[in-house]
Amino acid sequence: MASLVPCPNCGRRPKEEFTIKGAALSRPAAGADAADWFDYVYLRDNPRGAYEEYWHHTSGCRRWLVVSRDTQTHEVAACRDAADGSRLEERA
Amino acid sequence: MSEFRPTHRPALGTKQTVSSAALRLSPLPEGTIIHVLAQPGEQDVVSFLGRFTKSPAHAVRPVSPGQWFIVHDEPMPHQEMKSLFATLEPRATGVDQSHGRVRIRIEGKMASRALSKGTAIDLDPSVFPIGQSAVTLIGHIAAHITRVGSEAFEIIVLRGFAESLWDDLARMSLEFS
Amino acid sequence: MTSYRLPKGGLIDRQAPLSFTFDGTPLQGLAGDSLASALLANGQLLVGRSFKYHRPRGILTAGAAEPNALVTIGRGGRTEPNTRATMQELYEGLEAQSQNRWPSLNFDVGALNGLLSPFLGAGFYYKTFMWPAPLWEKLYEPFIRRAAGLGKASYEADPDAYEKSWAHCDLLVIGAGPTGLAAALTAGRAGARVILVDEGSLPGGSLLFDTATIDGKAAADFARDASGELQSMPNLRVMMRTTAFGWYDGNVFGAVERVQKHVRDPVNHVPVERLWRIVARQALLATGAEERPLVFGGNDRPGVMMASAMRAYLNRYGVAPGKATAIFTMNDSGYALARDLEAAGVDVVAIVDSRPSAGVEYHGKARLVREAVVCGTKGRKTISAIEVYRDGRKETIAIDALAMAGGGSPIIHLACHRGGKPVWSPEKAAFLAPEGLKDLAVAGAVAATTGLAACLGEGAAKAQAIVKDLGLSCPPVAIPNVDGDEGADPGRPLWSIPGVKGKAFVDFQNDVNLKDIGLAVREGYSHVELAKRYTTSGMATDQGKLSNVNAIGLIAKARGVSPAEVGTTTFRPFYTPVSFGALTGAHTGHHFQPVRKSPLHDWAKKHGAVFVETGLWYRSSWFPRTGERTWRESVEREVLNVRKNAGLCDVSMLGKIEISGRDAAEFLNRVYCNAFLKLPVGRARYGLMLREDGMIYDDGTTSRLEENRFFMTTTTAYAAGVMNHLEFCAQALWPDLEVRLASITDQWAQMAIAGPKARTILQKVVDEDISDAAFPFLAAKEVSLFGGALHGCLFRISFSGELAYELAVPAGYGESVADALMEAGKDHGIMPYGVETLSVLRIEKGHVTHNEINGTVVPADLGFGKMVSATKPDFIGKAMLQREGLAAPDRPQLVGVVPFNPEQSFRTGSHILAKGAAATLENDQGYVTSSAYSPHIGSTIALALVKNGPDRHGEEVVVWNGLYGESTPARLCNPVFFDPQNERLHV
Repeated sequence: MASLVPCPNCGRRPKEEFTIKGAALSRPAAGADAADWFDYVYLRDNPRGAYEEYWHHTSGCRRWLVVSRDTQTHEVAACRDAADGSRLEERA
Repeated sequence: MSEFRPTHRPALGTKQTVSSAALRLSPLPEGTIIHVLAQPGEQDVVSFLGRFTKSPAHAVRPVSPGQWFIVHDEPMPHQEMKSLFATLEPRATGVDQSHGRVRIRIEGKMASRALSKGTAIDLDPSVFPIGQSAVTLIGHIAAHITRVGSEAFEIIVLRGFAESLWDDLARMSLEFS
Repeated sequence: MTSYRLPKGGLIDRQAPLSFTFDGTPLQGLAGDSLASALLANGQLLVGRSFKYHRPRGILTAGAAEPNALVTIGRGGRTEPNTRATMQELYEGLEAQSQNRWPSLNFDVGALNGLLSPFLGAGFYYKTFMWPAPLWEKLYEPFIRRAAGLGKASYEADPDAYEKSWAHCDLLVIGAGPTGLAAALTAGRAGARVILVDEGSLPGGSLLFDTATIDGKAAADFARDASGELQSMPNLRVMMRTTAFGWYDGNVFGAVERVQKHVRDPVNHVPVERLWRIVARQALLATGAEERPLVFGGNDRPGVMMASAMRAYLNRYGVAPGKATAIFTMNDSGYALARDLEAAGVDVVAIVDSRPSAGVEYHGKARLVREAVVCGTKGRKTISAIEVYRDGRKETIAIDALAMAGGGSPIIHLACHRGGKPVWSPEKAAFLAPEGLKDLAVAGAVAATTGLAACLGEGAAKAQAIVKDLGLSCPPVAIPNVDGDEGADPGRPLWSIPGVKGKAFVDFQNDVNLKDIGLAVREGYSHVELAKRYTTSGMATDQGKLSNVNAIGLIAKARGVSPAEVGTTTFRPFYTPVSFGALTGAHTGHHFQPVRKSPLHDWAKKHGAVFVETGLWYRSSWFPRTGERTWRESVEREVLNVRKNAGLCDVSMLGKIEISGRDAAEFLNRVYCNAFLKLPVGRARYGLMLREDGMIYDDGTTSRLEENRFFMTTTTAYAAGVMNHLEFCAQALWPDLEVRLASITDQWAQMAIAGPKARTILQKVVDEDISDAAFPFLAAKEVSLFGGALHGCLFRISFSGELAYELAVPAGYGESVADALMEAGKDHGIMPYGVETLSVLRIEKGHVTHNEINGTVVPADLGFGKMVSATKPDFIGKAMLQREGLAAPDRPQLVGVVPFNPEQSFRTGSHILAKGAAATLENDQGYVTSSAYSPHIGSTIALALVKNGPDRHGEEVVVWNGLYGESTPARLCNPVFFDPQNERLHV
């Protein structure tokens, strides 16, 4: 019936405004091992609990977000713009 | 065919204004809409853009982080727009969306009630005051909403969806008309 | 006929009679009646037949939990089966039909099921399945289907409108009883944005039948005045006839408002039902408690009613349940009913109290039987006597109506919708809402608080706390002074009753009785979830509102444990049934999905286009002319004309994206598999975009209009997807690149002008020189038109294989420019053409679309292997494209196919078999992806993905289609059927 996602740019919006891509993984570097690429392209965890996903606010600000949500309770713990710092730091 | 003068056909040209004591729905003239995309890290782009607007009230409308619409009722001549785009660089890029987007006005004391049939955003003036903009779904169609008066909103929608959104808005307004 | 309207009293308008019919019999009620109260006022105690045993059933409750009095309202497309008579407001002309009876309510053949009841006990469905299978289809299923049923849905379309809406508030109060009213008043006066919802037609809840006075006012008057004050507050919205049916993530509540379900002729510009999604910062549940039935023999006989319901009919509707009533109670509430009945002049024959003493004094005329129970009832279609069991002895007492008061179960459903489990409270003897709920509080009877004064106080106090949490100041709350508060002692639950005689129902709607519960426990299904499914208790449309807690109590008793140990089944939305109409809302018919119209839609229309829906777009398929009998004739004419003269096709729906910024070229270089970094300004290039797994995602041309400004086109189908993908790349993968993306699909009307005469025609409207020397193949630039009157973009690109251009002009001028081109080309034979012709032209040239780019192909499969850059350090799909299997020689690859006999044809989707090979999976060589009749070749031509295809040109194969039983000898060939040297492109 409803589920609200706290977009850091637009505030709380219904899930219908978003497109979900799936697990928020770091793209391997160009020359990375084939195994890393297989992990990135095909292999997914299926945790019961905290999970980070890419959501696109398609019918809003059109920004890609990283949504940290609990797969069991649907609780959204955090939601940040995918271009914001922490990802870059992660890779550094 | 240099003597030929192309004629403009408004997307909502066949739509009649819906009007009642509680609500009025009307197509706005297809003037100018410029999509401004700022270079990352630019500060205070709004006041920078403000210098280029003709009609001061609500002419610069936020779209998303680093993006705005500049809106005029009148079309802007090609050369004028080109030089405006040149002035914006390098701080921002201008993209002409005067034909890509269509504006609709909805006003009256039931305007926000009618819009709430489509959008999940809270349109209460305490939360969504005059001058505030948001991109949101209205029913199945994404649109940009700005509160331009205490009981008046302007909607900017993709041209291809304009007729469909108009029909939806007219349906949503039916009980107040 | 024993129930009747009292001469005075009630919140009904005695001056406003309303006519209605029940099973065709004309009856009369009053404004303010529910259908149930009006039926009772007419002495209609028997209103339906039960689900399984077809037992006569009457009206049990006065509210949402009603399991028995389900009727069909209305006729034709407005037929509404399974309507609870207790919730349906009476209106002039209402037509109600009883359900699940044949031939009539009074004489129902199905009642014979009662004789079969030994075979219909718990688990009978499962046991039946184990009998000989052939009997199931022929005997049991038809029998069960005919016998067990509810109302019948109409097959006619619903003529009414429905819609959805959002609402927002600081505080949502659910339930406008005493607790909810007190809460809404408190929060409203403090200035909070409050929404108060209640499923009834009048605010007040139990105040509507309570005889207490509040601040000297009758309870009902207090409710009226309170709601008047609430309605006058601008920050407060009172939504009556609105059921909050679910609590969802983000503190959103689903509610359905019955806007016009209480009128005979709904006005058509207002919806009949509205589905609300209410976003609440805080919510207060003030839903009260449900009175539990007592499980004694024959507790389902018409004339047996919940005590609170009897009180509601008496005080709110002025209806007496009978002339000689009895009350069976396990708490003090039975005495308030006795007092009210006697005050209204209705005889109370006996009060049967299970307790040794009561918490209130009783001075009425009824015989008081303490430490006793009702163990059975007598009567045929209505009750005529009760059997009272005391000290091992049974006594029969003649009565015509019986009230049962089994204690209250808090209505905690909504509080449990987000996964929280109810908590059994031994002190309150009730299941309470889960603890520690976020942003949802409970107050009043739903928190097992008893007594009017306590509920009013708790509602106000909880609201005050919430208002303070919200950061508003709250004026001091004045607690009203209550006189005549019963302060009802909740009593101890009476799960099982000694001496039960006959069927004692636990779940009325699904005909589950005491013995079924016992059987389930004995047969090992004592887990609450198993017992529910084994017995079907709680599985009817009422979802066990009256039965679940009793079933748990009985299981607990049978297992010798506490109800806490048994636990509850899961509470899920919806609290009460919600119509499909409300859930669908306005998205039907014309509003089912948006229509996306090209700026050239009306241009195509005036040229007679036949449109086809592609996604949300309406595209012109072909343009029939007088005398053409089939679409093929029109398409052949259009194809030949493009190759001979020129054609104009609307390609506005191609996705268009402007890409700018310092790193725009680098960005494109990473999203396409081929090179873009060095594309010169003023040039267009065909690009292939891969997915990260190496398969082709989309294709299109991208032109460099300025050093840092590109104009990308995508396919129509993937336009939105490509934009999302590019934004992902720009924002999530490479936020360090300085690139900006703007969708410009709708800004431009884009038309393809194709054919040998294209340049001559176009030059008449374009100011710049577009000769081959000045504007060669793959040139792209901004142009001015009509002597500078308009500006657009021109691209020399070709999907047809002819000399061709795509011209983009501002959308609002699209039609005018198309008109000008048609005028300019009039003498050169220009004609409009549609997507069918576009398709034939591109198949003749072996150009691919998403028919070929179907998610399984890599560039080499389509002959684009050399396009893939070997030198770029990175691009999307590069790593996975290196996989060995993707370079295997026997991958299905692009090839042309033609039938040997030009008279023969074959279909897209057909499979390719080697000549003489059997049609088996292992012999499958590939499949046809696109096919068309080519007027140039004079036969069907096709593109196919075939193993080793490029090496097999000339090979004879069979095109096989098992669905149509077709087998066509054919030859594999070069996929470019027309002008393989591309000479026509470069003229």
